[in-house]
Amino acid sequence: MALPYWTGMKLLAIFSLLVCLRTAFAADDAVVVTAVRDPVKKSYKKMIDGAALFEERKHLAPDAALRFKLIPRQADTRMEGVELEVAADSIAIPLKVAPDQTFTIERNRTALKENAQVMPNRKVGTMTWRADVRTPGLPPNVRRLGDLRLECAVGMKAGLISNYPAGFWGWLDGLIAQNESYCHRAAPRYLFFAERPIWSVTLVDGGRREVLPVDMLYGGASRDPDWQKDRHCDCSALFDRAYFVPLGDSSWPNDTRVEIEYMS
Amino acid sequence: MRTLVACALLAGCALTEPIPPERPLGPGEIASARQADNALELGKSTKADVKALLGEATALTFATGYEVWVYRERPDPKTQTPSLELVLLFEPAGILAKTRVR
Repeated sequence: MALPYWTGMKLLAIFSLLVCLRTAFAADDAVVVTAVRDPVKKSYKKMIDGAALFEERKHLAPDAALRFKLIPRQADTRMEGVELEVAADSIAIPLKVAPDQTFTIERNRTALKENAQVMPNRKVGTMTWRADVRTPGLPPNVRRLGDLRLECAVGMKAGLISNYPAGFWGWLDGLIAQNESYCHRAAPRYLFFAERPIWSVTLVDGGRREVLPVDMLYGGASRDPDWQKDRHCDCSALFDRAYFVPLGDSSWPNDTRVEIEYMS
Repeated sequence: MRTLVACALLAGCALTEPIPPERPLGPGEIASARQADNALELGKSTKADVKALLGEATALTFATGYEVWVYRERPDPKTQTPSLELVLLFEPAGILAKTRVR
């Protein structure tokens, strides 16, 4: 007997939730080294998968290297002195965190086999993660669109995003969006963070210039009167630095400069 | 002849679409972004000045004390042209620091 469409979708959502919970608890079981209770953590395997995708899509940013970056989620999150390790049943591999809170990750067979987790010594909800892909030689306020495209692809593949909309179907949409194909949408809501609070973002390709609408800054808050109540977005501490770019708009080449003007 | 003229006038009236009454501008809406921008003074206009001139904005207040105010022109359904937005930045002291029309 065929189920009505929405009934089927709801059953799919419930099934997905159960699978996620089971996976989450299985991952918890694997962790033996924790510096704090209930730490932030990410799947080591997914991050390695993200790094593999970076190599596969290197043509987007031929001169760039891949790093990952820790970003505060709370205004009072202390970012100095963060310690990070790959933790599994039988091993714990410390990772060196640079002063700009970036780090690299190496492939380790045992860590993969034991479903290791990458964990900083900070509690869950205090930090989020992003891929960091930077072509050298650009001014600090300029990003390259190809770099951002690759950051999105790696970030989605590595499961770095912590952004769960409040509504049930919104949540399901978020689940579906955990795929790097999301980055090919014309205007995906994949958040990038500038170094300082943003006043404007302009795409520049030769003589073509386009200032992004304010809807694409501040996590889209100008269209959402309840933006300050959204505690699920992983941008809550950095709303004034958050922006989207039209990653999937192929009329903008990878060499497009993304020029950021700061508030001050 | 008079009858013909009267008929033509009546037909003309029947074919002319009635003009709907103009809806007043809502919060965050302005008639012209460029005119509004020209009326403001960087380094001088205060939040109270801008509110008195343009009405309520969509305001984003950040932890740093900076505020971004957004006004949008009401879209014109006839022309289909995208409406302009006027974005204002107030520094923590409440003075207008930057503006942008897009």
